[in-house]
Amino acid sequence: MITRREFLKMAAALAAAYGIQGLPAPVAAALNTLGPEGVPRLIHLQGLACSGCSISLLQADSPSILPLITDYSQLGFHSDLSAVSGKKALDLIDAFLSGKAGEYYLTFEGAIPEAMPEACVIGDNHLTDYLLKAAETMNGALAVGACACDGGIPGAEGNPTGAIGLKQFFRSRGIDKLVVDIRGCSVHPDWVWHTVIRLVKAGLPKLVNDSPALFFSRKVHEQCPRYHDFQEEIFAKHLSDKGCLFKLGCLGPDTPADCPTRWWNAGRTWCVNNNAPCVGCASPNFARAKSIPFYRISENREVPHQQGDDE
Amino acid sequence: MRTPKLPERGMRQINLGPVTRIEGHLNIHTTVENGAIVDAKCSTEMFRGFEMILRGRDPLDAQQITQRICGVCPYAHGIAASYAQEAAYGLAVPKNGRILHNLIQGANHLYDYLLNFYQLSALDYVDVTSVLRYQGRDEELLHVKQWVKAQLDSGMKFPGTPFLPRLPGPYITNVELNIGALKHYLEALTLQRKANQAVAIFGGKFPHSTAIFPGGCSQNARVELITAYQSLIREVRDFINDKYLPDIVAVAEIFPEYWHIGASKGGFLSYGQFPLSPALDSERFIAPGVLLDGKVRPVDFDRIRQDVKYARYDSGTGLSVRESDTSPSPQKQDAYTWTKAPRYDGRMVEVGPAARVMIDYLQGHNEGIRKRVDAYAASAGIRVEQLNSVLGRHLSRGILGAVIADFLLEESDRIDADAPTMAPLEIPESGEGFGATEASRGALLHYVRIANQKIDMYECVVPTTWNCSPRDDRGHPGAMESALIGTKIRDPEEQIEALRVVRSLDPCIACSVH
Repeated sequence: MITRREFLKMAAALAAAYGIQGLPAPVAAALNTLGPEGVPRLIHLQGLACSGCSISLLQADSPSILPLITDYSQLGFHSDLSAVSGKKALDLIDAFLSGKAGEYYLTFEGAIPEAMPEACVIGDNHLTDYLLKAAETMNGALAVGACACDGGIPGAEGNPTGAIGLKQFFRSRGIDKLVVDIRGCSVHPDWVWHTVIRLVKAGLPKLVNDSPALFFSRKVHEQCPRYHDFQEEIFAKHLSDKGCLFKLGCLGPDTPADCPTRWWNAGRTWCVNNNAPCVGCASPNFARAKSIPFYRISENREVPHQQGDDE
Repeated sequence: MRTPKLPERGMRQINLGPVTRIEGHLNIHTTVENGAIVDAKCSTEMFRGFEMILRGRDPLDAQQITQRICGVCPYAHGIAASYAQEAAYGLAVPKNGRILHNLIQGANHLYDYLLNFYQLSALDYVDVTSVLRYQGRDEELLHVKQWVKAQLDSGMKFPGTPFLPRLPGPYITNVELNIGALKHYLEALTLQRKANQAVAIFGGKFPHSTAIFPGGCSQNARVELITAYQSLIREVRDFINDKYLPDIVAVAEIFPEYWHIGASKGGFLSYGQFPLSPALDSERFIAPGVLLDGKVRPVDFDRIRQDVKYARYDSGTGLSVRESDTSPSPQKQDAYTWTKAPRYDGRMVEVGPAARVMIDYLQGHNEGIRKRVDAYAASAGIRVEQLNSVLGRHLSRGILGAVIADFLLEESDRIDADAPTMAPLEIPESGEGFGATEASRGALLHYVRIANQKIDMYECVVPTTWNCSPRDDRGHPGAMESALIGTKIRDPEEQIEALRVVRSLDPCIACSVH
């Protein structure tokens, strides 16, 4: 007799291989009617974070946030939303992290202060203690946002805490666990929730450099509606101008993300549509070097060799 | 290590952390004796070092980097950083530029007020399990009812997360009221999203706007965008007037003691909000001021000093904003927090919605604020000074929400369609500037000094830096500490009363330390 966990793992693997339509009817039905104990529990922990990714997750549109954390996943703990507080909250976190409360995925937001563990404490313990415990019991982790993936702004040049991302932290401790990187400062809610939905309904999504290929396989620049302006060398001279924003510093050529086709806030708009250069928030190098500013208003930036056209 | 329990009647030390339903990593060390908190120390447990990261960067990076101080109120930081740069660059901001700043910041306030009341605070008052007794036909509530039932019947550990478990405490017992509030909790999730869509129309995206700049906003002033913005704001305004404000009143009728609980014991500070014409020093829609000993005076940034005796820094103490320094010392003796202790003229002040409302009201400035304060104070039988309380802070947010929503609709009508929205930018060789505004959580000050076209020094004195301040060098507690001391507690282990005080102040630890 296989356990439910083994069954779901097998079903998920089959779904990944054949798509859910190709599955035997009972397996597909089981995947579609997961009961309360079947949807993944998410334990959300924050490190050196601003809660911007969490707030972005609240902006999910269809489905909206409530079904996402009750029907498609179950939010086991989240510091911003959980009713429980204090010692009871610590007991709940400990129960999951020690493996006594059932299976769970870790969703992690924020960076890890590798050189200054006192810079992030939960209850009475360093954040790093919790992460090491979670590494032993979790099914896998989603690194949510620029900080959790690469250190983000807390890890930018000149930072005092030695902030790094989750994968680098685990690697430095010799831990080899599934960590799916979802970049962005903040993340787009779809990038996280669609990944969770795929995990539930169809198994692990296809990954490119550990990030879901669906969202991060092409550069912003390649998909930009102003790509034509770039080719025709119609460049914006001032912020608030139309035309390609490259010469004002746009980092779209270095940033893998589908913002140009997905848009933000229920499809209202996105940065370039507001004449704002891409600041590269979904790039692993986001904000990293002091010598690479977000904007280049006072220099006539040189147009690079058009690598997109030659490939 | 947790302090072992002492005998029942003696003094007990209890940590409230991790405090949830706020932003970030907050612990509070309380000492309880004879059913009351006799001491409280706010311990903020996260440090990133933003001011160190900003040094040496391009000045125009500031409104991007500082928004990442806080993902809950990023726009306020974007605005403060833009103001500071406008002052440093000597920019002449076009009319539309200032209006668009106001529109994006104001819409962000509306979302934040709803978030604080429904998602962060309501679960301290509302009994969510009431939904099990729901007999109506609302699809959404029926779905929640089924979900809660399935959860409780499932035999799983920790059913009903994140809404259960919770602290024991007196909750609202009226089933209808609980279910109405729960429905509004769900609606508020939709409305906060709409407010942020309005934010994004001009801001580019939410969180973390890319379209805010010193001198204005890079989005054009297109009429159809203004119309879309107004349509979203109207929906939010109606929810505020028809549901949010009545819900605050309903909670106040059941828990009237909270008009007397949670008062901070110092002054109040507000920088005012929404300049009514392009110049930064023009009149603001909500008036600035510092309220000390019952009198409102003009604000002078040079009177602000930050102490660090009890904060984990070995940089100088008592420094003015201009001479600020941040040098972390994680194991510093006697320090219990990462938050500095700002003081105004040596005095502790509270910042936030109650400060904003009282300081404007006492100057007889804003008609909308005055009318609403008078009406609500009369019907609740409270004095204006009692806005300094748990319920007073919630009511102040509700009042500001209604007043700001009306303002945004009028302000958006003042846009000159298709006229410029930004000042041309040129970064000077050197310069300095203050940028002061009101974040949803209170008085927000940025200071930038530029040398060789780079950031030479940057300092942020943020709302929760004031409110979650530790003791100053003379040992005087911060605003939240003083509001907690004296609070009566039923159960020292699970202090729901203290948490109600904390959440009324809506602390944001990411802001507080940065």
